[in-house]
Amino acid sequence: MADLGRAALAVSLGLAVYALVVGIVAARSNRRRLAVSARNALFACFGSTLVAAAVLASALVRHDFSFVYVAQHTNRTLSARYALTAFWGGQEGSLLLWLLVLTGYGTLAVAVNRRLLRDLVAWVVPVLGGIATFFAFVLVAIASPFDTQTAPVDGLGLTPSLQNPYMAIHPPMLYLGYVGLAIPFSFAAGALLSGKTDERWLVATRRWTLAAWAFLGVGQLLGAHWAYVEVGWGGYYAWDPVENAALMPWLAATAFLHSVMIQERKGMLKVWNMVLVALAFELSVFGTFLTRSGVVNSIHSFAKSPIGSWFLAFVVISTLFSVALILWRLPLLKARTKLESALSREATFLYNNLLLVALCLTVLWGVLFPILTQLVQGETRTIGRPYYDFFLRAFGLPLLLLMGIGPLVAWRKASARSLLKLLAWPIATAVVAGAILVAVGAGSSKPGLIAYTFSAFVLATIVVELVRGTRAAGSLFRLVSRNRRRYGGYVVHAAVVLLAIGIAGSSAYQTTTEQRLVPGQTMTVAGYHLTYRGATHIDTPNAQRVQALIDVRGPWSGRLRTGSVTYTGFAGETDREVGIKTDWLRAEDLYVIADDFRPDGAVYFKVLVRPLINLIWLAGLLFVVGSLVALWPDAREQRRLVTRLAPARA
Amino acid sequence: MARSTRSPARLIVALAVAGVLAVFLLYTAVAGNSTPSLTPSGLAGHVGKVQVVGAVVGPIRGDSHSAAGLRFGIRDIGSGAKSPVVQVVYRGDSPPPLFAVTRHVVVSGTIVGGRIAGTGIVTKCPSKYVPTKKY
Amino acid sequence: MSGLALVLGAAITIAAVVFVGLPFLREPRTDDDRLDAPSEAEAGRLELVEARDRALAALKELEFDHRTGKITDTDYRVLVGQARRAAAGALRALERSSEAGIAGQQEDVQGDDRAGHNGSDGRGRVAVDERPHHVAPGGEPDQGHERERDPERQHDL
Repeated sequence: MADLGRAALAVSLGLAVYALVVGIVAARSNRRRLAVSARNALFACFGSTLVAAAVLASALVRHDFSFVYVAQHTNRTLSARYALTAFWGGQEGSLLLWLLVLTGYGTLAVAVNRRLLRDLVAWVVPVLGGIATFFAFVLVAIASPFDTQTAPVDGLGLTPSLQNPYMAIHPPMLYLGYVGLAIPFSFAAGALLSGKTDERWLVATRRWTLAAWAFLGVGQLLGAHWAYVEVGWGGYYAWDPVENAALMPWLAATAFLHSVMIQERKGMLKVWNMVLVALAFELSVFGTFLTRSGVVNSIHSFAKSPIGSWFLAFVVISTLFSVALILWRLPLLKARTKLESALSREATFLYNNLLLVALCLTVLWGVLFPILTQLVQGETRTIGRPYYDFFLRAFGLPLLLLMGIGPLVAWRKASARSLLKLLAWPIATAVVAGAILVAVGAGSSKPGLIAYTFSAFVLATIVVELVRGTRAAGSLFRLVSRNRRRYGGYVVHAAVVLLAIGIAGSSAYQTTTEQRLVPGQTMTVAGYHLTYRGATHIDTPNAQRVQALIDVRGPWSGRLRTGSVTYTGFAGETDREVGIKTDWLRAEDLYVIADDFRPDGAVYFKVLVRPLINLIWLAGLLFVVGSLVALWPDAREQRRLVTRLAPARA
Repeated sequence: MARSTRSPARLIVALAVAGVLAVFLLYTAVAGNSTPSLTPSGLAGHVGKVQVVGAVVGPIRGDSHSAAGLRFGIRDIGSGAKSPVVQVVYRGDSPPPLFAVTRHVVVSGTIVGGRIAGTGIVTKCPSKYVPTKKY
Repeated sequence: MSGLALVLGAAITIAAVVFVGLPFLREPRTDDDRLDAPSEAEAGRLELVEARDRALAALKELEFDHRTGKITDTDYRVLVGQARRAAAGALRALERSSEAGIAGQQEDVQGDDRAGHNGSDGRGRVAVDERPHHVAPGGEPDQGHERERDPERQHDL
């Protein structure tokens, strides 16, 4: 069956090349049947990639260890659920997932738009074909998931820390995000190649971009949650290059989602939007390159992989292609109107964009710094957490403020007096919130206090906007359903505010205490009294587990278990099993790490009390709700689009 | 007085770029020091703060929470037994659970008298993207 | 390679080739192989429709911003005049274009009648819009124009 997989991938490569080459010929020479043929090649590419994926999935579930990939990432004791998640557990499988999602998305996007946007789609097909050609080539020639061997008795298994529900779903979410950014990029490139640089490509890809952005955001939060509960160092984000690899395209896509509204309404920022959508796509491929090349030191990778140079070449070529395309079509990207006032909704979107891109480029600089210093100075130098924290505050806090001000500013030209009148209540709320926070002792961290007061301000502005909007529209339902994108966006803003509060609270106001205890001893942390009762050892065929039992009294009373587990089958890999007790009323976590179990029963404990940290995870749920509202199809809008783009035909 | 009809967009962008660069310069002037990332064999001649990437060499002795610290060696990844081993004395949080002899680690600290006074240890997760060795 | 894998592999390849060649298998010969891009007239009409939609949406936004207190009454009076003029201009331009289009279509039909064409475009589809035109009696509002203006009546303020 590996032969079938290899054959299917070879067919995918051939079809991708056909879609690329014939698609270009068809679009240039304006030939309908040839264009349809190229389009069918893209659809068929999805079909053959699906066959290859089915072969790999079947091999994983059947534990067919004649597949090298299956033997390296599963074993007989692995459940079917995790055997399937091993699909994206390694290099080759994850590349196959990339190709599958790319061709799947591409098929759907092209199929949906093929009648309304024929001229544009004729150029979108070869662009998608080009991207698919690269991934299919890598899968066929460099990193095939269908290498075979004499089947061993058992496989190596899946790394235990990856056998976790969050880690099972984190990669597919990220891929749906990363790869999804290829769709707006392809349509943008198609618009430039066809010369149809009006807003049609934006409108056609609006929901695709939003969906990709939402998946990328959710994927990152899932990864952060996994790191928090499974890796067990007490944190959730370490500014590691592989983590930043997902953050950068997300920031660029966030900027793009905002600035497209300006182009749709005012015909401005056309060049900027082209640059942003290309930047988002290039960063997503660059992120894929980072995680596989070993070119920067990361907790997630260690060895240089041969695939790195191929990815680098693809990033360079596709970037040059994007730049050349934009420069060539600059005359077609002239703005229809201009910015009339520095105090207008358009201007606030511009400020928001500048801050988001500044933050994105700051993170990119931090990621590239080691590579650049090695090239320039011959010595690798790294930038640590303080750098990222500084710029997160420098750009993130003004962004938070803008989230509150922007929605209350009128289009074209706002009056300062009206704006101040609208902001009066939110400002008052923020001042009162700040005063209360200082009174309860939250003034110890200035950035934390600023984040909290800005968050109160933003929440108040959302309330003001909803109240006034409901009065104007007649009902909240009518208000939201008439403009789902805007009000879905406000829900997402509220999610970001929750995220900011959660991050500020859990980092700026965290309490940490460390102590070695023998059985019977007690330590006190932020009002919790933790008494260590003793350790238990639990041995199973696959693992040896040691757990410390702790009785807790305080804001919560009960028993916690914390310790570590050593897996016999993984060269003695040891994972922490932290004890976490969540107080949902205060959104606070009591987080206990136990280390260094001594023969005399003594254990070293590190206890963290992290206020408001669970707002981060709640923010994820709210983020999903907001994205769904914004994504919700509007039948009237769709009919309007069809009426506009499909004129009199019998 | 006639109002200017020119778009303020360019001015906004120029001011924003200037603002970002100013923030960047401020950071670099005040706090921006990067840390060299070296291999054990490349430490010679360096002083001050470093980050060292290598493989742990045993024996591992001591306790990171005690005054004497956790003591171990580190050598270049993939090098043979003849490559130089640099001694590390690490004081701080318990090392990550994956920390063990032959693990690949990143040690942050300061070079003092040819040794590394470590303040942070990160062990690398098993890579998903490179084939694991058979054992 | 196992027999089953060989058969399946061959089946996938054949299916792919057939699917890719389908447009040519369906129409081995055709009079019109042009990519169905909008003509210049169509593209022009599209631009006018988009301009109309933008103008009406801007007017609607302005009304909403005023009702929610983002714009003062003074600013509103100035801006709404400009927005209404822009919307009216866009509507007039579209109406003129539609009238020119109808006249053009009528000429095309008459030309085709004279030439004996049946109006088909070679693919069995009628080339000209043959919906009846609802021209109102003199002095009465033309409902067709209103529908063209705002088919969903969603720009009603």
